Amino acid sequence: MVLGAGVAGHTAASFARRWLDRGDSVTVVSPKPDYNWVPSNIWVGVGLLKPEKVTFALAPVYERAGIEFVQAAAREFHPEGDGEDRTPYVTAENANGKRSKIPYDFLINATGPALRFDKTEGLGPDGGHSLSVCQPAHAAQAAAALDDEVERMRRGEKRRFLVGMGHGTCTCEGAAFEYIVNLEFELRHRGVRDRAELTWITNEYELGDFGMGGMQLRGGGYVTPSSIYSASLFAERRIDWITRAHVSRVEPDRVLYETLDGLQGEQGFDFAMLLPPFSGVGLQAFDRGGAEITERLFLPNGFMRVDADYSPRPYEQWKAADWPRTYQSPEYRNVFAAGIAFAPPHAISVPRKSPNGTVIAPAPPRTGMPSAMIGKAVARSVVDMIAGADAPTRTASMAEMGAACIASAGANPFKGTAVSMTVFPIVPDFERYPEHGRDPAGTFGEIGLAGHWIKIMLHHMFLYKARLRPGWRWIPE
Amino acid sequence: MDPDKTHYVTKPTKRTVFMRTFLPWQAWRFAVINMKMIGMIRLSHRAQHPK
Ligand SMILES: Cc1cc2nc3c(=O)[nH]c(=O)nc-3n(C[C@H](O)[C@H](O)[C@H](O)COP(=O)(O)OP(=O)(O)OC[C@H]3O[C@@H](n4cnc5c(N)ncnc54)[C@H](O)[C@@H]3O)c2cc1C
Repeated sequence: MVLGAGVAGHTAASFARRWLDRGDSVTVVSPKPDYNWVPSNIWVGVGLLKPEKVTFALAPVYERAGIEFVQAAAREFHPEGDGEDRTPYVTAENANGKRSKIPYDFLINATGPALRFDKTEGLGPDGGHSLSVCQPAHAAQAAAALDDEVERMRRGEKRRFLVGMGHGTCTCEGAAFEYIVNLEFELRHRGVRDRAELTWITNEYELGDFGMGGMQLRGGGYVTPSSIYSASLFAERRIDWITRAHVSRVEPDRVLYETLDGLQGEQGFDFAMLLPPFSGVGLQAFDRGGAEITERLFLPNGFMRVDADYSPRPYEQWKAADWPRTYQSPEYRNVFAAGIAFAPPHAISVPRKSPNGTVIAPAPPRTGMPSAMIGKAVARSVVDMIAGADAPTRTASMAEMGAACIASAGANPFKGTAVSMTVFPIVPDFERYPEHGRDPAGTFGEIGLAGHWIKIMLHHMFLYKARLRPGWRWIPE
Repeated sequence: MDPDKTHYVTKPTKRTVFMRTFLPWQAWRFAVINMKMIGMIRLSHRAQHPK
């Protein structure tokens, strides 16, 4: 059974189905009827794509593939079954609030993040004062708000745009970065750039940190940190920036924030797209007698404990080897987590607090490529364990794999650009690469139109792959 | 935007900006970047080695 039909869960379910015998069943439990190619939500948020272009219905795809689909949200794990029956099961709730028991032999938790708009007063599109692009519906709302702003600017008004992170512990800085540079490009394209003031607000210590401690790029006789490139792009595009900030409140026309040096500030806006912090989706776990064992399976932030080293240690003692390799629960050998759902052992960026004790440091990102690769590795381990292996057979440590990423910086087939990046490994390994933690030969970045073409290609390729069309498995994660 | 802030920032030359969307150059970069990405994907897939 796979919980969640996102990048990690859908990949795991598709490969498990392919590798398992027909006598075995694969069940996906997920609350939404659609698959969403999340990275392209950015283009929905600037009005270039409709939500239908980044989503498709899962039921017919799963029916064709022979995967059972239960449209419901998982709520409880019962890994030991209950008093009546020792078969492990999950309790899931459908849209009408009806709960059902779904038994499993092996479980992959790939439920991704809960969007915690509630962590900052006034944050978010549902009852708050800011917009989001995390989901297609949110992104469509942002696009409609952008259209209104453009209309006002066409009538001669000046408008203020604020984009970034809505809390000091956010992750996913890369997504908000893509949004602000796409927004700037779109405002230029619509002929109103001169009437717009754009500001980036972030919890990063320096621009270009992206929750992964930044990157060091070789070129022109120097090793240059990503902060230099990010600041350069912002200066070139006339985007102002506020770093080291925790947004503490969002009001209808301004945010209040605290910076790492303990100062309080405010920034006015007419349009704000601020990402929320993430947590796990709030699954609970119970033993056979019905006693709650949630804290044995999950960390307090709701992400699932796996084979990582979670002992609390100062930053100087963090190691690449602390990161999980098999994603198996230490408590139950038939339970795994993949993608954002697993609990990282610690951050990647240096943890920092303001003098008031406010944590202002990015949480570690788990982007598309590692999420899919972890999903595939876990699926293989489960298939091998079903065939008789007594332990997981595959590993996919973020400290041993790299990532390739394309960040759109403006979408147009002739004038658009995107930043193409590779890093190796994702989690710096200072024992192997003492200077910067990463292999300089595997770490690369470049901005240009070619990157945009690749981004378009990836959009179509990954949607094709997710639809499980002929040859899907040859498209790499 | 505060000019003091942007004064100390590296900025691209006109040529650099031009080359970012100059089609022949970008067609070449398309090939190069794809090769780099494929190399990274290969390297990373090796991380899924059997234990
Ligand atoms: C706007 C945006 C842009 C991004 N751009 C990029 C990019 O360019 N490149 C990149 O590599 N990464 C990007 N990312 C990150 C990427 O989207 C994530 O890494 C990836 O989606 C994580 O996969 P996942 O399967 O762990 O979670 P998700 O894809 O979020 O999937 C989680 C799944 O679980 C389901 N679920 C939720 N609750 C439950 C429950 N209780 N029971 C069962 N199922 C549940 C959800 O409905 C969903 O199907 C971006 C993210 C955002 C928000």
